[in-house]
Amino acid sequence: MGSELWELFVDSFWKILLPGLKMTIPLTVLAFSFAMIIAVIVAMINYANVPFLKPITRFYIWIIRGTPLIVQLMIGYFGLNNIGIKIDAFPAAVLVFSLNEGAYCAETMRAALEAVPHGQLEAGYCVGMNYLQIMWHIVLPQAFRTAFPPLSNSLIGMVKDTSLAANITVTEMFFAAQRIAGRTYKFMLLYLEVALIYLIFSTILTWIQGYGEKKLNAYGANKG
Amino acid sequence: MRMEQIKDNMQILEIKDIRKSFETKVLDGVSLEVNSGDVVAILGPSGSGKTTLLRCINFLETADSGTMIFDGKTYDLAHASKKEIAEIRKKTGFVFQNYNLFRNKTALENVMLGLTTAHGLSKNEAEKIGKEMLVRVGMEDKMNYYPSQLSGGQQQRVAIARALAPNPKIIYFDEPTSALDPELIGEVLSVMRQLAIEGMTMIVVTHEMDFAKNVSNKVVFMEKGVIVEQGLSNEVFENPKQERTKEFLRLEENRTLGKG
Repeated sequence: MGSELWELFVDSFWKILLPGLKMTIPLTVLAFSFAMIIAVIVAMINYANVPFLKPITRFYIWIIRGTPLIVQLMIGYFGLNNIGIKIDAFPAAVLVFSLNEGAYCAETMRAALEAVPHGQLEAGYCVGMNYLQIMWHIVLPQAFRTAFPPLSNSLIGMVKDTSLAANITVTEMFFAAQRIAGRTYKFMLLYLEVALIYLIFSTILTWIQGYGEKKLNAYGANKG
Repeated sequence: MRMEQIKDNMQILEIKDIRKSFETKVLDGVSLEVNSGDVVAILGPSGSGKTTLLRCINFLETADSGTMIFDGKTYDLAHASKKEIAEIRKKTGFVFQNYNLFRNKTALENVMLGLTTAHGLSKNEAEKIGKEMLVRVGMEDKMNYYPSQLSGGQQQRVAIARALAPNPKIIYFDEPTSALDPELIGEVLSVMRQLAIEGMTMIVVTHEMDFAKNVSNKVVFMEKGVIVEQGLSNEVFENPKQERTKEFLRLEENRTLGKG
């Protein structure tokens, strides 16, 4: 590698990483947190077969899963502004990613809730607990254990998907890399570089996932 | 007159004409009286409705019709309110065939959880009772183990401790040893025998003839959703009146001999 290229690599590394720290990570953390709240609520509505609310949640999941994320982003930012709902790019991205991820994670959570044996609920009733107490102390903790690996998967997937937010002018990592590439014409270098940084982020999250799974295995909850 | 009154005072549970159908009739008019301190063994072939009977009187299934007088109050088994059901469950214990310990809780937490949530006890009080109960079933050494780290017999003893914890008026046992390896059955039965000696009221659905004969004082023989014969344990075993009871007891005896 020529020293000029190396200099560009080093110079741009921080210029890409900085928006990563300032945009990509906050966007992921915020959107995933909201997504988890949506997912648990939607999953519980489905699990408990709540009338009126269940069809609404099925409709929501149907819409989200049936349309491309990039289109949802466009609607959430350009579309909304177009019809007079003023929203900045970053909150629009948080909104769309929360709703999108929430739908997928809701299905993961629902499957995990349904995997908790019915006997666990019956035992809860027999010691006098009510439905919400059983959900809180017994069913949800066990479901989270089951859902942890696929939810971690979703989180890692989401870190990479945030690059799509560049399309609605969120100045995250990919946006920064594109800008530098456009100016210097070193496309291969810049895109490989941004790929490397995403890889680092994902690798760190994979480590955290491994650590978390080890912690949760102490319960041995799924062995017996 | 006086005798009647004493008898009335002792009665803890009466079930009248309980009926339940799934596709076929599972319970076809079953009535049962249980006095305080009774150990009632419910015997009968598979599919006779024994388990459904227990599940209906603790509202794990909803009966189609029937009444229950429990602890001096009358309940409609088909239309009990949530409040009534909760009230009954707080005064009863249930031990399942496959233990159903909370998998994400330790042995001690399993015993404590109902006390802190349903019975409103503080954590300290619940812990004190929880430890006492685990001592009673001989599981104090394993109180911090998760269910997956315990044998079937140990899990069932913890489940009994959990049922005992709120000091219930009655405990229902649904085939408590049927899922256990033969060598683990003894430890569970001896805990149950001890409870019987201490005067705990129990209804036990079981295939353990020795337990029915030697520990329970009353025996109920069910078949096809009805009670074929019931009476004092030694009478039913020594001198069964119904042909079907005789046949069942003979078959069970052969089975037990065959195993031994």
